[in-house]
Amino acid sequence: MYRIVEYTILFIVVLLLQVFVFNNLTVSVYLTPLVYVAFVVLLPMETPPAVTLLTGTLLGVAVDYFMGTAGINTMATAFIAFIRSGLLGLVVGKDLVHDGGIPSPKRIGAGRYWRYAAILIGVHAILFFLLEAMTLRYMLHTLARIVLSGGVTLLLVRLVGLLFESRIIRKRI
Amino acid sequence: MVKLILFLKKSYLFILFAAIELVALHCYSNSTGYTRARMLTLSNKLVGGAYSGVSGVSDYFHLRRQNRELTEEVTRLRNELAAYQQAPAEEVVKLPVEELNPYVFTSARVVRNSINREDNMFTINKGLRDGVMENMAVLAPSGAMVGYVVSCSDKFSVCMSVLNRGFRASGRFKGSDYFGNLVWNTHDPRTVTLSEIPKYAAIEVGDTIVTTGFSFMFPPGIPVGEVVDYRVSENPALYDVTVRLAADMNTVGNVVLVNYTDANEALDLESSATGR
Repeated sequence: MYRIVEYTILFIVVLLLQVFVFNNLTVSVYLTPLVYVAFVVLLPMETPPAVTLLTGTLLGVAVDYFMGTAGINTMATAFIAFIRSGLLGLVVGKDLVHDGGIPSPKRIGAGRYWRYAAILIGVHAILFFLLEAMTLRYMLHTLARIVLSGGVTLLLVRLVGLLFESRIIRKRI
Repeated sequence: MVKLILFLKKSYLFILFAAIELVALHCYSNSTGYTRARMLTLSNKLVGGAYSGVSGVSDYFHLRRQNRELTEEVTRLRNELAAYQQAPAEEVVKLPVEELNPYVFTSARVVRNSINREDNMFTINKGLRDGVMENMAVLAPSGAMVGYVVSCSDKFSVCMSVLNRGFRASGRFKGSDYFGNLVWNTHDPRTVTLSEIPKYAAIEVGDTIVTTGFSFMFPPGIPVGEVVDYRVSENPALYDVTVRLAADMNTVGNVVLVNYTDANEALDLESSATGR
């Protein structure tokens, strides 16, 4: 594994962002950005599935601990960490995945990136909000939370990605 | 044996994944509002100080409004005090403060709050060493109901927000005896529902809802909010009343804690009366 330092920093930064900034947003009941998934989205494409699963689970446990959610984040994050390598193979294609690197619009194409990120973040949001609601009674309400929070998360994750990529490129020069 | 090893090699990832999900599901399904509050209390020991710092910065943006609210409250209390001072001296019986008033008030600051979860909790910057205890009521500076303390560490306390499906309190119409349970329907952080009000109660939009004295957390008569709407509940003989909260849960900053000093005595009495 390479860039262990960079990814450790990313892990800590997204965790801090989630705990101190996005968990305290009191804008709307529909807006709960789960920005920490940026870590799972941005892991190098060639990361062994076991490493993805274990780091994703660790992140979920950490967020659960600070959010007081007792397992929802762990379940949702472990799930997307588990399906990630399969999803990459399907959406991005075996060849590009084999080349490795951070999944970014530049490396794998904008269409492929947004499809990949939207599915990963969408599945995470669906699991999170359904598990939190634990009822299908207010389905429309839950759906609005999934769509709005998921959409905002998708944009914020791209922003984190941009910052992270620029940092790594600068280091190389 | 070889087959078993091959099978494990091929599917160890799925087995690991399934194990993680099962453990997390087990934790989640066995958790209650109380255990989640305990969890937040534990994590507050680690990051509570940092929450205080962050909220100290964001509080600056609300200073103007908070000052106005506090001034309004001071004015109201001065008016009340002036009325008492007007009374002839012999009518005022001087008693020690504790005997006069079973409710003791202290103040605290909210350092972490949320409104966008289904079960919202907030954290205040006072804990056991400041004399905060479980089940103390939490009010806005204006006196409106905000929540109650669920779990304390030394320096911080985690409180159940009104905006939580596990919140338990009852409310009644000011000036009449009709009462019901206050529940949050998770849709709107500005309103709660007062459920099971009999249909023959004369409800009017704008009626004030206050707390009942049934629980030992909230003193009776604490303002909850105003009626904005009412409709027939699932049971056609009853109304569900929508109440606009008097406290703005979005921007709650300073809070007042209420300790009902007679609660332990009353609880002991109740348990001894029903215990046998």
